[in-house]
Amino acid sequence: MALTGIWYVIGFAFAAGSFTFLTFGAAWLISHRNRGDMHKGMPYESGIDTYGDTHGRFGLSFYIYALLFVAFDIEVIFIYLWALVFRSLPDPITGFTSMLIFVAILLLGLGYAWRKGVLSWGGPGR
Amino acid sequence: MTVVARTWDRLTLPGKALFILIPLLGVLTLGLVITIALFGQQILDILIFNLPIVRFVFSVTILMLIFVPMAFVIIYMEMKIIALMNLRIGPDRVGPWGTLLSTVHGLKVLMKEDFTPGKADAVVFTWAPVVVFSTAVLSALVLPFAPGLYGQDMNIGLLYFFAVGGMTVVGLLMGGWSSFNKYSLIGGLRSAAQIVSYEIPLTLSVVGLVILAGTMSLNEIVIQQSRTGWFTDWFMFRQPLGFLIFAIAATAEANRTPFDLTEADSEIVAGFATEYSGMRFGFFFFAEYINVFIISAITVVLFMGGWNAPFPSPHISWIVDPGSLGLWLVILIAIVPVVGTLALAAPFYLFRSKTRWWVALILGFVLFNVIAGGIFSLWAYINFDWVAGLFWFVGKAFALVFLFVWMRGTLPRVRIDQLMGFAWKWLLPAALLNLFVTAAAVLVIDAMKAAPK
Repeated sequence: MALTGIWYVIGFAFAAGSFTFLTFGAAWLISHRNRGDMHKGMPYESGIDTYGDTHGRFGLSFYIYALLFVAFDIEVIFIYLWALVFRSLPDPITGFTSMLIFVAILLLGLGYAWRKGVLSWGGPGR
Repeated sequence: MTVVARTWDRLTLPGKALFILIPLLGVLTLGLVITIALFGQQILDILIFNLPIVRFVFSVTILMLIFVPMAFVIIYMEMKIIALMNLRIGPDRVGPWGTLLSTVHGLKVLMKEDFTPGKADAVVFTWAPVVVFSTAVLSALVLPFAPGLYGQDMNIGLLYFFAVGGMTVVGLLMGGWSSFNKYSLIGGLRSAAQIVSYEIPLTLSVVGLVILAGTMSLNEIVIQQSRTGWFTDWFMFRQPLGFLIFAIAATAEANRTPFDLTEADSEIVAGFATEYSGMRFGFFFFAEYINVFIISAITVVLFMGGWNAPFPSPHISWIVDPGSLGLWLVILIAIVPVVGTLALAAPFYLFRSKTRWWVALILGFVLFNVIAGGIFSLWAYINFDWVAGLFWFVGKAFALVFLFVWMRGTLPRVRIDQLMGFAWKWLLPAALLNLFVTAAAVLVIDAMKAAPK
């Protein structure tokens, strides 16, 4: 069995997970515990009793960033591959201009979002 | 009742059992040593036969074990340096100059109650710190600490690093969502928005470097920065804009001040970590301080020459074969420590009348160890490539850690809309500009090199 790449990743993840759970276990063995009253289990929201539903509706600016992120993150993977082979391309000028056009189209999207006010506090339409 | 007895009485029953177990482990270790002394050769043969597995286990263990003291050192550095910057004294009670304080903090966190709030989603709540810590360990897997001293040299190392590093946000979001606390939820969502936004400039800022290096393997990138041996080979000087963007985005990725909106204690208590206590809280912050080191380390690898010294080292060979000394070696080992300790203790005892003899002896012993350690380190530095590499790598990384701490001591926290706008309106266009300027420059230079033929 060749122990390379993916096996190291799996092994490291497993080792890190078991390290944390072993430490949790050790901490559980030696730590103090008491039951407390009903207030102990309540969420700490600056000392007052919690009001309303936590997992209810939530005013969240910047949610459109997630969409922009997906577009740009996939672009990044593509750009990385382009950057790797850029110096050994048979026709580097075509490679350069095509990437310029590709990024320009994406920047057009970013510019549209910017114009629409997505990048400002309060989200679009304000 | 003595302090020891009182402390013993306060322990829970499993705690007492654990404190009995630790001496037992000591006895077992002694047994292991004796076993190795008796059957060393056979064990060695089996280990060499399974070398890949041994290397894997070894690298995992070393990385995990090195993280604990490293986090302690960084926490102590932060406490002490920020205290000095604030004209305070900082920790000075536990150990010399308070150096043991972070260790004691770690032990304290271990013994604290690990509490799950009533309405929390217990499974997700427990897994969140595990995910955060695992991503920190996983991203350390590809770091080249020194020549031949790395977890794994992947050909997609850089991409892997960013991919795994971005997974931290999953852990923070898990913690924020499962705590059933509005502040936690806001903190988790803020961290998601922030890390996701800064991921883009972070990854785009190194594309110019990838064009120059032509590889994504971190080892190869480090080797590329050692052409002449001087520090001018570092990518920092060929990619200044990229370096700047990378440093800013990396600070935001590690949730450090001035970008620590996710745990802004003046606004949202402690962000995603509000409901956490005990060891699960401990792992969140353990991971955070490891991340500070890892971010510094990746900056060193990419832009500051990794394990390369900033100047070419003169070729000195100082090889002493201990075997050739024969009987003198035994005499050396037996006599030099005693004579050295006495010789170094004598001045303290003779010239400072207040010093008691045992204090002088301890001082002499410590001084002797420092000098012997220094000489041994110098010998190792000259003779082994990886010792020199590790020295420069860790030195540069800790210089950057100091920079992070300095920033925390100096800069105020930014506002959230400034934070998000900065990533998208400034860093992203700047990163793209850097990328295309680099590509154009490479195009022109390659054409000029090809022209005369």
